[in-house]
Amino acid sequence: MNDTHGRWPNGARAAVMITIDHDADLALLSGSPAIADRGKTLSVGRYGTDRGIDRLLGLFAELDVPTTWFVPGRNAEQHSDAVRRIAAAGHELASHGDAHEDFQPLTLDEQIRAVHDGADRLCQVTGAPVRGFRTPAGEWKPGLGAHFAASGLDWSSSSPGDDLPYLHPGTGGVVEIPVQYELEDHQYFFFNLEPPFPTGQSRIASYAHVLGNWTQEFAAHHRYGLCYVLRLHPEVTGTPGRIGLVRDLITHIKAHPDVWITTGSPVADWWRTNHPDNDPGHPADLFARLRAEREAAV
Amino acid sequence: MHTPVDPRPPRWPHGHRAAVALAFDLDGPTGGAMLDGSLWDRPGYFALGGYGPHRALPRLLDLLDDAGVPATFFAPAWVVEHWPEACRRIVERGHEVAHHGYRHECYYDLTVDEQHAVITRSQRVFRDVLGVEATGFRSPSGDWHPETPRVLREHGFRYSSSMRGDDRPYRHTLDGATTDLVEIPARWDMDDYAFLAYHRNPDYPSGQDRIASYALTLDNWKREFDGYRAEGLCLTTLFHPKVSGRPGRLLILEELIAHMRAHDDVWFANCNDVADWWIESGQGTEAVAA
Repeated sequence: MNDTHGRWPNGARAAVMITIDHDADLALLSGSPAIADRGKTLSVGRYGTDRGIDRLLGLFAELDVPTTWFVPGRNAEQHSDAVRRIAAAGHELASHGDAHEDFQPLTLDEQIRAVHDGADRLCQVTGAPVRGFRTPAGEWKPGLGAHFAASGLDWSSSSPGDDLPYLHPGTGGVVEIPVQYELEDHQYFFFNLEPPFPTGQSRIASYAHVLGNWTQEFAAHHRYGLCYVLRLHPEVTGTPGRIGLVRDLITHIKAHPDVWITTGSPVADWWRTNHPDNDPGHPADLFARLRAEREAAV
Repeated sequence: MHTPVDPRPPRWPHGHRAAVALAFDLDGPTGGAMLDGSLWDRPGYFALGGYGPHRALPRLLDLLDDAGVPATFFAPAWVVEHWPEACRRIVERGHEVAHHGYRHECYYDLTVDEQHAVITRSQRVFRDVLGVEATGFRSPSGDWHPETPRVLREHGFRYSSSMRGDDRPYRHTLDGATTDLVEIPARWDMDDYAFLAYHRNPDYPSGQDRIASYALTLDNWKREFDGYRAEGLCLTTLFHPKVSGRPGRLLILEELIAHMRAHDDVWFANCNDVADWWIESGQGTEAVAA
């Protein structure tokens, strides 16, 4: 694991993906449907669509970095102009469910439908096929990945369980590009009074300290040759006070010449071709085996 | 349970001023969700736990090698069974493995017979896979059972690192008598969960607090060490490879250990050696002047 030579293309030491979840108000609505008439609460999320997206797009153009945007199908329909601006700027679009569903309580069939409808609506707005997927909330039912191909999907960036990509067993090659809680803006900065987030109503974190965490994570990902996946939300970091953190972080990353800054599909293609087998003992393979044994025993 | 408070600072081998016994709980995906079965619908949660033995442990062992310090790994035997190669490396590289349940059971919830069964099964796994048996015990998931110290003695354990109530080792008492079962207390202040662990659904922390600043967490831990060293005490840790063995946090551990190693009057030992020393040096049995 210490030999990072050849892990990434063109001698790059680490891979970096800047990703943005365009949740708007759907994350709040799908988590708490009773807030449908609560204008103030919904506006916390809508800020991202009305202000955050263009602020982030402006920064990415200024710094000339490609990024990956995960958009629920219903947001693609409702905010189609914004979605087309994202695509026109050369960023990759990927699926994020249909209505930002929490996957945990859904049946496998309901999950398949959310994946399919979400990718379909997004594709219709952009006119281009979608290849990537990120679970909005909750987790996949085992077996969901085997249905990805029917929607044209061949990679995911949903699981928090690793710092290198891996292949989902039993899917014919669906690549997972894992996310990490410590590299997500939401955990540190999102705040709402009612319904409460965080549930314990803890303080908004120190901006300087979060930038410090993200920078230290980059230093470590670079040292160990890993895949650094930053996960932003337009309503969280597309703000006047926080956009500077994103600027500082990306500027710092770009000062390293041996980093591959890219989007989801190139990472997935590279990994599938060059790392066709998971490492022995990989938790994803172990989970699939143990779960199959449990089902066989019932 | 606790011997009378002895205000004198402990004595350490070769005139060392203080002791550091680095300890890691290698829980993997064991614990509540595995015990109640909910884990089997959560591949991501499983992988987050599996990150400990699969990804974090090899990097952590390299880091300990580079620093030249020993450590104790409290490992549920289920983890040893499912990542045998990774766990063998712990022993091969000179570190200690110790008992932490079979699937991270809460001993408070187990009958005495169940506790015997968990220990017997786990020791067999340790013997078969690692070629060693555990001499140490750390209570998984909170409190142990009132009869647990007796069970530990019956299985020949030398020490426990389960309590929070002191900053140096002490001997457990049983039926009013001081025993040679040593306690090496660990405190929440040196538990990485309290600063860095995060998960959504199941929520951790249950109040969904923020992930702390790495810089301030490191500063806390350095200050804890400075305090233990100043008073000549025994510092041990409740670090988890899946929490502080993640990339950016390995750098915290690296800097913390470098800070500790900058002092040549600190004894770095694994927990078993600390327990041995405590018994050999006869501490915790002397009468304390009133």
